[in-house]
Amino acid sequence: MTEAVRNPRLHALGAASIELAEIVGGMGVLLARILVRIHKFDGEELVKNLYKMAVKSLPIVAVTALFTGAIMVIQAAVIVKRFNAEGLLGWGAGFGTLREIAPLLTALMISGRVGANNTAELGTMVVTEQIDALRVLAIDPIAFLIVPRFIAILATLVMMTLFADALALFGAAYTGQGLLGVEPMTFFNGLTGGLLDFGDVFNGLFKSFVFAFVMALASCHFGLATKGGAPGVGRAVNASVVASAAGIFVLDYLVSFLG
Amino acid sequence: MLAFKNIKKSFGPKQVLNDVSFDVKAGECFFIIGASGVGKSVLIKHLVGLLACDSGEIWLDGEEISRFDEQQMGPVRKKCAMVFQHATLFDSMTCAENVALPLRKHKDMNAKDALAEAKKRLAVVHMQAFADRYPPELGDGMRKRVAIARALTVDPTYVLFDEPTTSLDPVSARRVDTLIRELCDKLGVTSIVVSHDLSSIFSIADRIVMLYKGKVLKIGTPAEFKATDNGIIQQFINGRAEGPMDL
Amino acid sequence: MSATTETHPDPSPPDASEGVEAELGFVGSIGAAFLDIAVAARELYSVFVRTLYYVFRGKRVKGAVLHQMNEIGVKSVAFICITMGFIGMILVYQSGLQAKRVVPDFTMLGATYLELLVRDFAASIGALMLATRVGAGIAAEIGSMVVTEQVDALRMSAADPIDYLVVPRFLASLVMTLALIVIAGTVAFCSGAATAYVFFDVRPDIFFNMQLVDVGDFLTGFTKCMAYGAAIPIVSSWCGLSTFGGSEGVGWATTRAVVNSSLAIIILNFFISAAGFLIFPG
Ligand SMILES: Nc1ncnc2c1ncn2[C@@H]1O[C@H](COP(=O)(O)OP(=O)(O)O)[C@@H](O)[C@H]1O
Ligand SMILES: [Mg+2]
Repeated sequence: MTEAVRNPRLHALGAASIELAEIVGGMGVLLARILVRIHKFDGEELVKNLYKMAVKSLPIVAVTALFTGAIMVIQAAVIVKRFNAEGLLGWGAGFGTLREIAPLLTALMISGRVGANNTAELGTMVVTEQIDALRVLAIDPIAFLIVPRFIAILATLVMMTLFADALALFGAAYTGQGLLGVEPMTFFNGLTGGLLDFGDVFNGLFKSFVFAFVMALASCHFGLATKGGAPGVGRAVNASVVASAAGIFVLDYLVSFLG
Repeated sequence: MLAFKNIKKSFGPKQVLNDVSFDVKAGECFFIIGASGVGKSVLIKHLVGLLACDSGEIWLDGEEISRFDEQQMGPVRKKCAMVFQHATLFDSMTCAENVALPLRKHKDMNAKDALAEAKKRLAVVHMQAFADRYPPELGDGMRKRVAIARALTVDPTYVLFDEPTTSLDPVSARRVDTLIRELCDKLGVTSIVVSHDLSSIFSIADRIVMLYKGKVLKIGTPAEFKATDNGIIQQFINGRAEGPMDL
Repeated sequence: MSATTETHPDPSPPDASEGVEAELGFVGSIGAAFLDIAVAARELYSVFVRTLYYVFRGKRVKGAVLHQMNEIGVKSVAFICITMGFIGMILVYQSGLQAKRVVPDFTMLGATYLELLVRDFAASIGALMLATRVGAGIAAEIGSMVVTEQVDALRMSAADPIDYLVVPRFLASLVMTLALIVIAGTVAFCSGAATAYVFFDVRPDIFFNMQLVDVGDFLTGFTKCMAYGAAIPIVSSWCGLSTFGGSEGVGWATTRAVVNSSLAIIILNFFISAAGFLIFPG
């Protein structure tokens, strides 16, 4: 004990691991509380959140997906040129896009747009006592606020990933035409020519479901754990996006290897 | 009948309430006064289970509620409504939706009926014209009145007000005073009001308790407070900067 | 860099904008969106220009840049190492799977991966991570100062907040982004090499193959580092400085910083990659 206090590095390491355990534990408890109440979500809140999260994210998901598809083609273009295999462009760009990049980038963008926003909203409700106001009205904040948001985030990310898949391929096909002169038809043939199947799309969607899960939990947890006025809300949002990003990458790894 | 018995509460090393006891009779308009930071808000939050005391008992209509969990607190909270210091409406809902929410949750009304009923209840506090506005667009006095309407939706027998007139202009403040007095006189509601607004205290209070340094300094009627020769109370109710009171 | 689109902070109730959409109609709301983008682009440009001006003309507070280098750089090392370590394993595993379906020949796996890493992934994915951690941090900090009126106090004492707040973050970010991305690339490469060894039996000495990495790849990667290193603090500071309205405003500013910095990175990536491909084909 005294040893640890004397050694500031060891102390910092200990503090960091306690903090990590606290966060993981807090998220576990929150998950249990959500699951117990999952059946009594508030329909009106769910619809409201779906609109706010999904519909309002469409533009930024679209921009991200179109550019991402284009970038993937540019990266694949070098290899295609090297082997002079235009027919493989669709497959080369499509494989990585569907299985990896589209779910990942969509998750990161939605984490910024929806997850961070969710934390900010909940954090504001905490510091302005709106959560206490709910409790005083004998309304369960988890059932009323958290469960609909949790479901809405899951639904939003999976839908947005599907949408991003389509737009990214679209962006890729036309970049291929502009940059390499590969006809979009050739691109799509390369895509559907047997090397890629629905398993790959499904793999990507499954990932996005897992990402949504960690993002929803993290953003709600950090929102509800907010302390200390306006700066506290900023810190909570910061912590939430960092934890979501780290969680997304770690889970991506686990899913990639298990799936 | 409501009674606090020997309530103690500290936050870390800081003892905020040190053995506070008093009771409130049914139907009266009861004021809790004291300097800022003395622990008035902390005290009334115990009654609705937002804080748990370190030791002591809280009796509400023959039940000891200080050890209730979140689930057991449900019926207590329907019986004791609370109006927060900053009104604390839900920013993402219109005024009508704010008032409709408890109706929808506790009176089994569908969204449409609840909204219609909410508008009627807003009319009682003269806020019907602002039913479809969002709380951040309104002034403090208006928000306070909407919050009162929302608190009354569950037909409480007790209503807790945390500094209902602080930060209001004098006209809005007297309107809120009138509203609180009417609750006691017309609906028979027991009001527990935290305040340090001298005009409210001496115009609508039935009885007053004054907290000082974590303890009860005096309980009595406004007349008794005026007549006391306790220097600290005299300094407080006359609003003097100099005197025996230390902070 | 100007095409950042997420410009509706509306900290007022979320549905307030619906009314606007309904009044303007669809075409009108698109027009309004473009107007928003134009205004945002101008503000962003102004922050950028003033930052550059003060980089050369401003009075530097001693230690401010060092402090920010610690905040932005040193404190991001663990986060970058974890995320890039995992992404390295995933990328190599996925490319291995991809290669397996066509030609089960893994000798060029390392060379291709290294090329891609240098030219794009190290910088772009690393920067996306930094946009999250650093961007959110900058916006939260500056945003809190705005709503607690500390920025106004700075103005009153005749210090331009751009000089005082943005410039140190800008300089620190330029240097530290480069350093962090070198670390990011190294970590991603090592975790990739380990994955290749475990799953596809590619020995590390075969995996470490610089054959495909040329000057063009280095230049493209370096340009990206610089562009992202400049974009993240500028975009995030702009989001922080345009905060208004209490705790909710700070939350909004932080959210916008993450989204807008990420978008800026993706869009910059597209243009730099395309330019790189056209200038150094093959
Ligand atoms: N959750 C809390 N944690 C720590 N200290 C608190 C908490 N709530 C209140 N306090 C402290 O208790 C004291 C009384 O606060 P409060 O009841 O709000 O005063 P007031 O009488 O003005 O309503 C204050 O000094 C405050 O700092
Ligand atoms: Mg108080």
